[in-house]
Amino acid sequence: MSRRSSIDPVRFEVVRNALTEVTEEMAAALRKSAYSTNIKTRMDFSCAFFDAATRPIAQSFAQPVHLGSFVELIPRAVKAYGPENMAPGDMLVTNDPYGGGSHLNDVTVFAPVFYQGEKQPGRLIGYVAALAHHVDVGGGAPASIGPFQEVYQEGVIIPPVKLVEQGEISDDIFRLILAQIRSKRITAGDFRAQIAANIAGIRRLHELVTRTGVDQFLAYVEEIIAYTRRRTAAEIAKLPRGVYEAEGFLDNDGFTDQVVNLKVRITIDGSGVFFDLAGCDPQRRAPVNSTYAMTYSACAYALRALMDKDLPINSGFYQFVRLNAPSGTVVNAVHPGAVVGGWETQIRVNDLMFKALSQAVPEAVPAGCKAMMAQAGYGVIERKSGEYLCNYEALAGGYGGRATKDGPDAVQGHGQNTENAPVEETEGAYPVMITRLELIDDSDGAGRHRGGLGLRRDYYFPHDDATFTILSDRDRAGPWGLFGGLPGRKAYYLLNPESEARPLSSKCVVQLKAGDTLSFQTPGGGGYGFPGQRDPELVLRDVRDGKVSLQRARDVYRVAIDRSAWKVDGRATARLRASAAARGGTTHQSRDKQAAARAERGSR
Amino acid sequence: MLVNEETGGIEIVKVPSTPSDPSGGFVEATLRILKRSDVTPGQLAFVVHGTTVATNSIIEGKVARTGFVTTDGFRDMLEIARQIRPSLYDLQFDKPPPLVPRYLCFGVPERLDARGKVLKELDEERVREVARELGRQKVESIAVCLLHSYVNPAHEARIKQILQEELGDISLSISSELAPEFREYFRASTTVVNAAIRPVVARYLQGIEKRLRAEELTAELLVMQSNGGVLTFEAAAERPVFMVESGPAAGVIAASYLAASLGHKDAISFDMGGTTAKVGLVQDGRARITRDYEVGAAARAGTGSARGSGYPIRTPVIDLVEIGAGGGSIAWVDSGGVLRVGPHSAGADPGPACYGQGGKEPTITDANLVLGRLNPDYFLGGEVKLHVELARAAIENRCARPLGIDVLQAANGIIEIANSAMVNALRLISVQRGYDPRDFALIGFGGAGPVHANRLAAENDIPTTIIPMSPGITCAMGLLVTDLQHDYSATLLRRADAVEPARIEEHFKRLEASGRAALKRDGVPASGMKFLRLIDMRYVGQSYELPVPLASGAFGATRLDKAVSDFHAAHERAYGHAAPAEPVEIVNLRLTSLGAIQRPTLREIPNQPGASPATALKGTRQVYFAESGGMVKASVYDRYRLVAGAVLKGPAIVEEMDSTTVIHPGYQGSVDRFGNIVLTRGRSR
Repeated sequence: MSRRSSIDPVRFEVVRNALTEVTEEMAAALRKSAYSTNIKTRMDFSCAFFDAATRPIAQSFAQPVHLGSFVELIPRAVKAYGPENMAPGDMLVTNDPYGGGSHLNDVTVFAPVFYQGEKQPGRLIGYVAALAHHVDVGGGAPASIGPFQEVYQEGVIIPPVKLVEQGEISDDIFRLILAQIRSKRITAGDFRAQIAANIAGIRRLHELVTRTGVDQFLAYVEEIIAYTRRRTAAEIAKLPRGVYEAEGFLDNDGFTDQVVNLKVRITIDGSGVFFDLAGCDPQRRAPVNSTYAMTYSACAYALRALMDKDLPINSGFYQFVRLNAPSGTVVNAVHPGAVVGGWETQIRVNDLMFKALSQAVPEAVPAGCKAMMAQAGYGVIERKSGEYLCNYEALAGGYGGRATKDGPDAVQGHGQNTENAPVEETEGAYPVMITRLELIDDSDGAGRHRGGLGLRRDYYFPHDDATFTILSDRDRAGPWGLFGGLPGRKAYYLLNPESEARPLSSKCVVQLKAGDTLSFQTPGGGGYGFPGQRDPELVLRDVRDGKVSLQRARDVYRVAIDRSAWKVDGRATARLRASAAARGGTTHQSRDKQAAARAERGSR
Repeated sequence: MLVNEETGGIEIVKVPSTPSDPSGGFVEATLRILKRSDVTPGQLAFVVHGTTVATNSIIEGKVARTGFVTTDGFRDMLEIARQIRPSLYDLQFDKPPPLVPRYLCFGVPERLDARGKVLKELDEERVREVARELGRQKVESIAVCLLHSYVNPAHEARIKQILQEELGDISLSISSELAPEFREYFRASTTVVNAAIRPVVARYLQGIEKRLRAEELTAELLVMQSNGGVLTFEAAAERPVFMVESGPAAGVIAASYLAASLGHKDAISFDMGGTTAKVGLVQDGRARITRDYEVGAAARAGTGSARGSGYPIRTPVIDLVEIGAGGGSIAWVDSGGVLRVGPHSAGADPGPACYGQGGKEPTITDANLVLGRLNPDYFLGGEVKLHVELARAAIENRCARPLGIDVLQAANGIIEIANSAMVNALRLISVQRGYDPRDFALIGFGGAGPVHANRLAAENDIPTTIIPMSPGITCAMGLLVTDLQHDYSATLLRRADAVEPARIEEHFKRLEASGRAALKRDGVPASGMKFLRLIDMRYVGQSYELPVPLASGAFGATRLDKAVSDFHAAHERAYGHAAPAEPVEIVNLRLTSLGAIQRPTLREIPNQPGASPATALKGTRQVYFAESGGMVKASVYDRYRLVAGAVLKGPAIVEEMDSTTVIHPGYQGSVDRFGNIVLTRGRSR
């Protein structure tokens, strides 16, 4: 690097760290001044900095689904509005899925950053952007999630417009947007928090550029991109070349009961990594359509996960993400397709990418994960206050087993990393009671390394009727196992689980009466390797913890446990495992023996 | 460290830690210092101890066998935790394993609503069954955290009684007593951390007490808490979660004391040692406190800790940003051809390459040596001989050659990168918290702090930097300049426009009575007591409160109006915007009760206004300064021979036993009457 003229390798690292700090400061400002639990506590937001050419340069520790889709959104939104129409102190707002966005709930507030030197006029140095998932943006059901058929049912569509003009919130636009929205007070506070994030970002960038000088700053930005490009190329060159495929499906499209078929084909060659999604189903008149930006973020996540852990991610990385997603399919919807459930498609495609890559890098990827957003939304017009309250959250589930260790229980996977909403905060702010929040025993996909347990969260509405939306998946099959591992338990959505226990679809809106309970049960992760090869001591630990039953320990893991002393019965276990081996080993289906052998090697 | 209250004299002893019996090291040091200073144990007024025993027991997994009791339906609270991955793109991540195994977690039937109303009575029979099961399982300690107990602690209190009836004198940690704040997982985690380390810490402190008492030491024994105050051994053994960051807190307290004695109310403490650098903030004479902290969290270069990698606690902790950049941090060139520093450290063995103990990796210490900032023959007062050629070779092989630059450039690069990480840490603690570093004085200490402090100040336009005497032991001094401290809080959750100021005054009076009683038990006379009031406020709908300090005196309507307008201002400062038309909510009332204990006075050195530093001049040597474009001649001074009033012009180096102060070109260091070097930008450059 030293050979590249004007760049000082030392100042380079300084500027790079400082740019990451810019986005972290934005995130801190957003989180601390936001109103909704989904944003302030669950962290369902992301912040980033783009250069004047709208290339992504730095991003906060946040939600990879947002960060990847930003790459598509900001260039298109800036172009649509015209950078020449933006002035210092302006901020724009947009959520248009067909303008580079994702679902309508993901609203982005972004601002041009001008650097005003001592004598020069302001010079555009880039854009700061804060995206947050709003709990409601209007549309056909509270929380704006539901089995919609076209985007116009999903809520207020905001093309890039000025929300802030020369430092002042544009009252007309703000009121017009809020008029479409149920949870006005909370959402207004969340918008202000996004504005605060951008103010923090601009302030900090200004200080940084004052130190470096504009030209130097821009030179460093170029080098930051080049640096990541060099490292990414080197990392990609290490991946085993070949063509890798996987297929899967969603339970239904949210409007009809038809499954949605998904197919992933990944080619790794000298020129990089190519994601071909041409085999996915045509777009549906239903909510499961993913926009190009959303699908792109899945590819970016899959590729990034294969890279060195400390690789900084920016335009120099994204330029290696190549994607074919034919328009008019569920992975690249066209107007006016409904997109609110597109994240379900996106995250499953992401999981399928890892399934495909298990043939290439078996030691690097997990077995099937929750791989559904597990979105729950509800709205209540509170009897006491008359206020329309909406809440939204996304639940964790089991993570897939890995080559050297189990999949963690109840955790977010892939592009999603939102937090658990505290029960006390939820019950304090909304007229709901959470009556259970627990792991689901025996939901693990068995394996040499088992999948993580799924999660159960029960919602009880003691005083008010409520409209409840489930936008999720996995009610036909649980996450797949790898290399002899078994699938995890599938998801269940039950109305009044202790009495009628009526199963609900994975995508539906239900009208609940006061006194009803809805039980949301997410799947366990898939297992990795044969369950009969699992270390009996780990099976013992799981049985003692009540995560795995004695019965399944014996039948699936082939381990006998002496419960009086909490010890593995070595002799009985040997007998169980010998008889299983004699019968041809296992109860499960096809597997790629070669890949399994490689996985073995990889795990040692 | 021993302070002679009569003479102001300070005596210092360092002993190696004794991992097999950690209390042994402290006792040994105490006895040795008494002997050396000719003081009998009976003459001691008080003993303050800072310790990492609490944190270490968690990091090393050496915790007590602990049970957890919660509301039925929620026994997996610790397993589920925050449901997030601590690193975004790592497919091999782990969640921190719960401190209580699942088979020792129990749900008991009972339920409150968010206002504390009982929806379901406590099933006492079931609690007894659970108690007996925990007894059979031979747990040493139990944590209890029920939903909404922060509003209504009745069920938790009843469970406590039943557990005591069934299990006798077992260690109990009750969430509503320890940290009565909402968000169940965080309260439960605080309670569980307390429960899991309590037997360990209690044994440790009792071990020390027993041995010291056997030596006829009768003085009060105190432990530093994470919030910078001290607690009696007895209280600390019950609430060890309050002392997890006992060690690092002392440094910030020392900085606040030094700053105050020099007339600075606002200061940034910069403590750099062998493996890490820690930056803290003192505002209005008090160390900044955070309640958003994870024990055992993995450090993330530049930005503090990764969220979700440790065990959250909600007790007050001195706000510190700690980064992996110390003298032993290793410099390397990554696969993208960029020079990096840390987070790996060469530790004490083999240590930096220049130690000549076989280390091949270049470290920050090696870079400072090559740049002429350290004296190879006077490191730790000459105790360790440094080998410049080994340092050069390591930098040449691992950094300079791969980068195609010369050794000096590479060495300077290592320092600049380390400094940039520290600049980020400094901005995190100041700018990100809403403070402008230019309004603060920088206090640089620790073995390596004075080497880097001047540059750090220059990067941030900090006008004044203070390097105390004997910077290597500044931290220890923090232990002796603190107050007895007891914190109390009450959750109010009422809108500011709907609350009676008189009610607030009542609450504060009640909290003050508790504080007064506790301080009285500690033996503090009424004249030595001080009470600080804070109100946590937020806009209705927000979840993060901002603390607003109150002036002393009774709380009335004008005080309330002032507090609300202070809140708007604090919000503006922290987030760049305020919403004066929005309703404001009062969340918590907080009271800090302080009991003054005797402090050592800083010792003065000979004073001679306008004195020449020449008498302290040891010589000159070539030192590298990037701003001078390379090696330049710098004066080298012996710190112990400097007299007050002397002014040292940069470039200069000041050497003492435990550290080296670097004064950059364009800066000057004035020696004050306490021997502190006060660095400021010189009038002419």
